[in-house]
Amino acid sequence: MIWLTWRQFRTQALVVAAALAAIAIYLVYLGSRIRDDYASVLGCQPSDCATARHAFDESYTGPLSIVGLLLIAVPAVIGIFWGAPLIARELEERTDRLVWNQSVTRTRWLATKLVLLTLAGAAVTGLFSLLLTWNASRYDQFIGDRFGAVNFASRNVVPLGYAAFAFVLGTVVGLVARRTLVAMALTLAVFAIVQLLVPTVVREHLMAPVTTTVAFDEDAMSRSDAFGINDRGATIVGYTMAGTWSLTDDAKVLNADGTPYTLQQAKACEKGSQAENTACMAGQNLHFSYTYQPAGRYWPFQWIELSAYLGVTLLLAAFGFWWIRHRSS
Amino acid sequence: MTTATTPVIETGGLGKRYGRTTALADCTLHVPAGRIVGLVGPNGAGKSTLLGLTCGVIAPTTGSIKVLGNRPGGSAAQLAKVGFVAQDAPVYRGLSVADHLRLGARLNPRWDQPLAERRVKRLGLDPAQKAGGLSGGQRAQLALTVAAAKRAELLILDEPVASLDPLARHAFLRDLLDFVAELGVSVVLSSHLLGDLEQVCDHLIVLAAGRVQLAGDVDDLLAVHHRVAGALPTGAERIHEDVVRSDAVLPGAQPVDLEDLGMAYMTRAAVASIGGAA
Repeated sequence: MIWLTWRQFRTQALVVAAALAAIAIYLVYLGSRIRDDYASVLGCQPSDCATARHAFDESYTGPLSIVGLLLIAVPAVIGIFWGAPLIARELEERTDRLVWNQSVTRTRWLATKLVLLTLAGAAVTGLFSLLLTWNASRYDQFIGDRFGAVNFASRNVVPLGYAAFAFVLGTVVGLVARRTLVAMALTLAVFAIVQLLVPTVVREHLMAPVTTTVAFDEDAMSRSDAFGINDRGATIVGYTMAGTWSLTDDAKVLNADGTPYTLQQAKACEKGSQAENTACMAGQNLHFSYTYQPAGRYWPFQWIELSAYLGVTLLLAAFGFWWIRHRSS
Repeated sequence: MTTATTPVIETGGLGKRYGRTTALADCTLHVPAGRIVGLVGPNGAGKSTLLGLTCGVIAPTTGSIKVLGNRPGGSAAQLAKVGFVAQDAPVYRGLSVADHLRLGARLNPRWDQPLAERRVKRLGLDPAQKAGGLSGGQRAQLALTVAAAKRAELLILDEPVASLDPLARHAFLRDLLDFVAELGVSVVLSSHLLGDLEQVCDHLIVLAAGRVQLAGDVDDLLAVHHRVAGALPTGAERIHEDVVRSDAVLPGAQPVDLEDLGMAYMTRAAVASIGGAA
């Protein structure tokens, strides 16, 4: 069975290995450039630091996002081109009649294929993820947006879960749909929906978020996008505590006694320069409420998401075994 | 454990429905070991369904079936005992002839590599040739080779000659007879043309409209069927036109050949179904 699995799979394996090698070469090149540039950012003259940091961010956000998206696409490709045709093509070409009548039960046939190819898919994705994680480590440290939808999904261990899930999903859809093209389209649709829903709707609920009170000061201002005030109160927009995953888009700025910060209070702080204004407001003892996932939860989130994907993968596989034994004829 | 007296196929009230369509109904058969069984019936009679049930790729809706004493397709050991060549002899188009033999060798514990190589050589197949480039006849031969070298106790061939020209049909069947004698296996082969099977089979099953019309060893069947012109003798049953069934010897009756016998049963079933529909 192992020989047959390899024999039927080797063309796809070579294509993927070649693609992975090309990406690896690019990533090693990109990685060494990031490391060189990062060293110069750290060693910058105080007067040039702001510019150096900005340039560093500018140069690498684009390439790393593209490579990150590519890594997110790898499991989809595995599901569509490895998983979906795996059984569907056998059924279409009727070779199931040949191979399922050798002295190997369908269960063993499917088990061998699923285990070997899931491992292959996870290995490819894992290698890619390892390269990218190494590559982007300086950048991630510097920018600190590790919970960002693309960044989170394209680093460390979660891509392994996506690969296993996509492959088994494709295989089982192919088994049930019995048509390669239909199975490929369905796999893409289902996988895309899951990959959109998980970061936008599901992920933030994996652990109960923490709500805290943050003092409104220069630091808070520098970590937010905007501050707005009108006669109904003041709002801080897009504040993100270092390394955390902010679940607060905007928050009301309040006085120490919990009453809204007013226009009159703000008027009292109209000094002259922006820095002076902010310093004055910081002295007014203001605060706002901030709901977030703490930075230390990055790894728990990685492991929980990986486990959840692997769990769903196992359920799908169990369904596939049941189907191939009872329904597939 | 399979012994020489274990029936190759034993079914009781076997049936298969797909939704509301009945593919096979109330099929009761007893096929002894060592036979070459011809399964004949018009297209859509349920032949492929019966063969699929026999090798276990299809599960029955009703009734029971035992093949070589066991549930078909239930275990690796049972799969090893039954060789199956499906209709149109599916093979892997991208794999070479040699790859197919390697597939057989890897997946079958009793694989007979010398037999497989001998057959490939005698058939003149190039081991490096991709199966997708073989002719219909060569593909059928390759599929048969894989099934035969498995050294099964029962070989099931679904319409093995349907896609072959008359010359290749003859060669295929003669070759089949040769190695059946060599291997000592039981064989079931189906066709919608009795003429194809007449020269090889010694047990006949006629299937029409999803039901068994006639089943038995060829010699026994020929002994109780006759051609009688004119009135029906007492104790005889008319099958169709002048073909009658009678256990007693009928004076003046002509012997019937297998092709006419099968045709008489198939025609009777067809007429009955038209009558039933009207």
